[in-house]
Amino acid sequence: MALVNGRFSVPARLGLALLFFFALDALAFRTGWYVSILEPNSTAGFLETYLNIEKQRPTGRYRQVLTVGDSRMGLKTRIANVLTGSTGCSFGTISVPGTTPRCWYYMLRDVDPDCDRYAAILVPLDSFDDRSWENQADRELDINYLTPLLRVGDLPRFVLSYPSWPNRAHAAGAVLCKGLAYQHDFQAFLEHPRTRLEYVRLQEAHAREWYYNAVWERHNLAGMSVDWKTKTVALPDWLEPGKRREIEHELLDDPPPDSAEFARYRRQWLGAILDRYRGSRTRFIFFRLPRGPVVRPDPPPPDPSSTVREFAAAGRIILLPADTFDSLERPELFGDALHVNEEGGYQFSMMLAGEVSRVLASAPGAR
Amino acid sequence: MLFHTPQFFAFFLVVLALFYSLPRSASRWILLAASYFFYMCWNAKFVLLIIALTAIDYTAAMWMRRLPTGGKRKAALAMSLAANIGFLGFFKYYNFLAGNLAWALARPFDAFALHIILPMGISFHTFQSMSYVIDVYRGEQEVITDVVDYALYIAFFPQLVAGPIVRARHFFADLYHWRAPGAREILRGTLLVVFGLLKKLAIADQFARIADAFFRDPAAHPGYLAAWSGVIAFSLQIFFDFSGYTDMAIGLAQILGFHFPENFRRPYLARSITEFWRRWHISLSTWLRDYLYIPLGGNRHGRWQTYRNLLLTMLLGGLWHGASWNFVIWGGYHGALLSVERLLGIRERKRWSFLDPLRVALTFALASISWVFFRAATLHDSLYILRRLFSGPHGHILWWHWQLWFVLAVLVLAVLEESRGWFERLPDAPAWVYASAIAVFLFCLELIGFTGRAVPFVYFQF
Repeated sequence: MALVNGRFSVPARLGLALLFFFALDALAFRTGWYVSILEPNSTAGFLETYLNIEKQRPTGRYRQVLTVGDSRMGLKTRIANVLTGSTGCSFGTISVPGTTPRCWYYMLRDVDPDCDRYAAILVPLDSFDDRSWENQADRELDINYLTPLLRVGDLPRFVLSYPSWPNRAHAAGAVLCKGLAYQHDFQAFLEHPRTRLEYVRLQEAHAREWYYNAVWERHNLAGMSVDWKTKTVALPDWLEPGKRREIEHELLDDPPPDSAEFARYRRQWLGAILDRYRGSRTRFIFFRLPRGPVVRPDPPPPDPSSTVREFAAAGRIILLPADTFDSLERPELFGDALHVNEEGGYQFSMMLAGEVSRVLASAPGAR
Repeated sequence: MLFHTPQFFAFFLVVLALFYSLPRSASRWILLAASYFFYMCWNAKFVLLIIALTAIDYTAAMWMRRLPTGGKRKAALAMSLAANIGFLGFFKYYNFLAGNLAWALARPFDAFALHIILPMGISFHTFQSMSYVIDVYRGEQEVITDVVDYALYIAFFPQLVAGPIVRARHFFADLYHWRAPGAREILRGTLLVVFGLLKKLAIADQFARIADAFFRDPAAHPGYLAAWSGVIAFSLQIFFDFSGYTDMAIGLAQILGFHFPENFRRPYLARSITEFWRRWHISLSTWLRDYLYIPLGGNRHGRWQTYRNLLLTMLLGGLWHGASWNFVIWGGYHGALLSVERLLGIRERKRWSFLDPLRVALTFALASISWVFFRAATLHDSLYILRRLFSGPHGHILWWHWQLWFVLAVLVLAVLEESRGWFERLPDAPAWVYASAIAVFLFCLELIGFTGRAVPFVYFQF
C-alpha cells in the first residue's frame, strides 16, 4: 500500500478532509449561531434558555446569590427578591429540572466564567447522605443537556466520567461532533423552519418574564395521612393514579441504599465545582430540601463521613442544619411526592432568603 | 456486522493492519479467515453451508480438469449446478412451493411449511459459484487448483452478502497479479466508502422511514399524492441503499487491492427500461444475459423467441430476488416492458435530445410502479396500492419540504455527474478539492445521517 505516490498523499488529503469537516462543524455549531435557534423545549434548548436569562439578569449593588439544582429546588426568585431590601441579596436561578451535579459544573462555568459574579451559590440536596437508587454517573440525559456547553478541552474529563462505553462514545460525539448531537434538532428545524424561528423569537422576548412569574401547582395534599402499621396511604381525591403511586413508592418502599458509586460521583462533580471556585470569595451553601409532604418515621441513620459532611468538615462549604426546612414538610405545601406547590414555594423562598442573608452576614470574608 | 456500523469499521481496520503488515504468503489466509469471521458474526452455523458449496464446486471443477470432454464432464457440471440450485431452492423457495402446493390441494397455507432461515447472501454466492463452474465447463476459465484461493473467491467479505457478483476471471486476475494499491486507488476507495455511507445513512434510511410507514398501512395514507410519494420514497430507498452498499464494497475491495465491476450507473436517468437494465444492478443483469438469456437463444431465433427469452430471463430474475408471486410479477413486468420496447424499436442512444427528460421521467415512473410489487407485503397490497396511484382524492405528499429540495439537489448533481464525470475525477483533483468533498459528505452524514437503530441493507435479504 503506497500512501504517498507522486502528487497523491493519502495522509495529507485525509487529514485535510478531517480538518475541513471539523471546521464546518465548528462554523455551524460552535459559533453560537445554531444554539440561538435550538428548539426551546428540547433539553439543550431549555437549559440554554435558563442560562441566557441568568446571564442577562442585571446585577445591582446587592449581593448576587445563585441557585443550582433540579426540579425539586423550591426557590421562587420573584418571592426571594421581594425581600432584597432587607436581605441585601438578589437571587438568580439556574435550577433546571433533571440536571445533576455534573450539569451544574458546566452550567456554572458558563454563567460565571471568572468565578467572581456571585457572593453565594446555593446547592440543594435530597439528602446529606450518599444514598441513591440511580447511578447518576452514567446518566445519558446529561449529554443532551450539556451539548452546547462542552468544549474540545472537556473531552477527557467529561467522557471518562461515564462508566459505560456506549455512553462514553455518545459523550465523545457530543464533544467532538456537535452536528451529531444536534441531528434530531436540526432535522426538526428543517421540517418547520418558520415555526421554529417564530417560537425562538417569542422565547427571547418573553422567556424571562414567563419563568420569573410562573405559577406552580396550586393543589395541595391536605388531608393526606399515612398508617405506618398497615402501610397504607390516604390521599386527596383529586390526585391522579400516577402521582398516587409515586407518593406510595416514596413513603412505603425501602429508602435508597448507601451507594459508593454515588459518593464517588458526588465527590467528583461537587468537588470539581468547589475546586473551580477555590480562592474566590464565593461561598457555597448546601442545604437539605424539604423531604416530602410526610416523612417516614424511621429514617436511616445519618452517615457522618458522607461527601457533603466531609466538605463541610474541611471548611469548603457552609452546611445548613439538616432540619432547617423540616417545618415545611407538610401536605398543604406539596403538590406531589417530591415538589413543593405554589404556597410551599412561597414559604420556602422566604425562609431560604432569610437563612442565606443570615449566613452571609456572619460568614467571615463574605462579599 | 453491517457495513455501516462502528463494529464493521473496527473489524476492517484490524483486517487492513494484518493484511498489509504480515508477509504476502499469509494475506490470502487472513482474508479468508476474516471473510468467514464476518459471515459467522451473522450466523456461525451457515458458514458450513458456504464451505460445503465451496468444496462441491471446487471438486467439480477439478474433476472437469481431468476430463477434458465427454459425459462425465457434463455430469460434474450437473452435480455442481444441482448442489447450488438445490441449496438455493431449499432455503429460498421451499416454503413458496409448499405454500402453493397446499393451496392447490386446498390445505392450510402452512400445511407443508418448514421453519427455514434464509442464509444471508446465498443468492449472490451461489450465482458466483455457478458462473465459475459454467465458465470452467465452457473452457473460458482456468481451473483454480488452490482451494484457499477458490474459497476466498466465494467468501471474500466485501461482496459476500450482497454482491456485486464478481466473475472468476476478474477476481483471480487481481489475486494472482496482486499489486499494492497506489495512493490514488486508496483515495478513490476511501471516497467510495464515505459516499456509500452517505447514500445509505443520509438518503436511503431517510426515505426508508417514509416508505415503511406507507407500505405498512397504505390505507392510513389516503390520496394519490400520498401513494406516489410513498412509492417514490421506496424507489429512492432501494437505489441509494443498494448502490450505497455496492460503493462501499467496491471501495473496501479497492483499498485491499481488488477491483470490483461497476454495479450502478445512475439508473434513474435511464431513458428506457432497456437502458435502465444496463445501469441497474449491472453485475446481475450481465450474469442473467450471459448464463440465461444467451443460452436460451438470445435474439438469434427471431422476434417471438427473443420476446420469450426476455420474459423468461426476467421472470427468473424476479424469482432470484425472492420467493413470492410479487417477485414473479415484478420480473414479468420488466420482461414485458423490455419486449414492448424492442417491439417499438426503442434503442439506447448516446446523444440526448430535448424530449429525453420526459423519457427519463416516464422510465422512472414505470420503474417505480414495479417497485410496488417488490416492496408490498402481499399481492393484494400491491394491487391496492396500484389502484391508489391512479385514482381517488389527491391527499398530501408524505415527504417534508426539505426532503424534496434535497432530492432535487441530488438530481442536479446526478445530471452533472452524467455529463461531466466529476466524481470519478475527484481523486485526481487538487488536495483541497478532494478534502472538501469528503468533508461535505461527512458533514451531511453528521446532520442527516440516520443514527437510530441500524437499518439493514435491503438486498441482504436476498
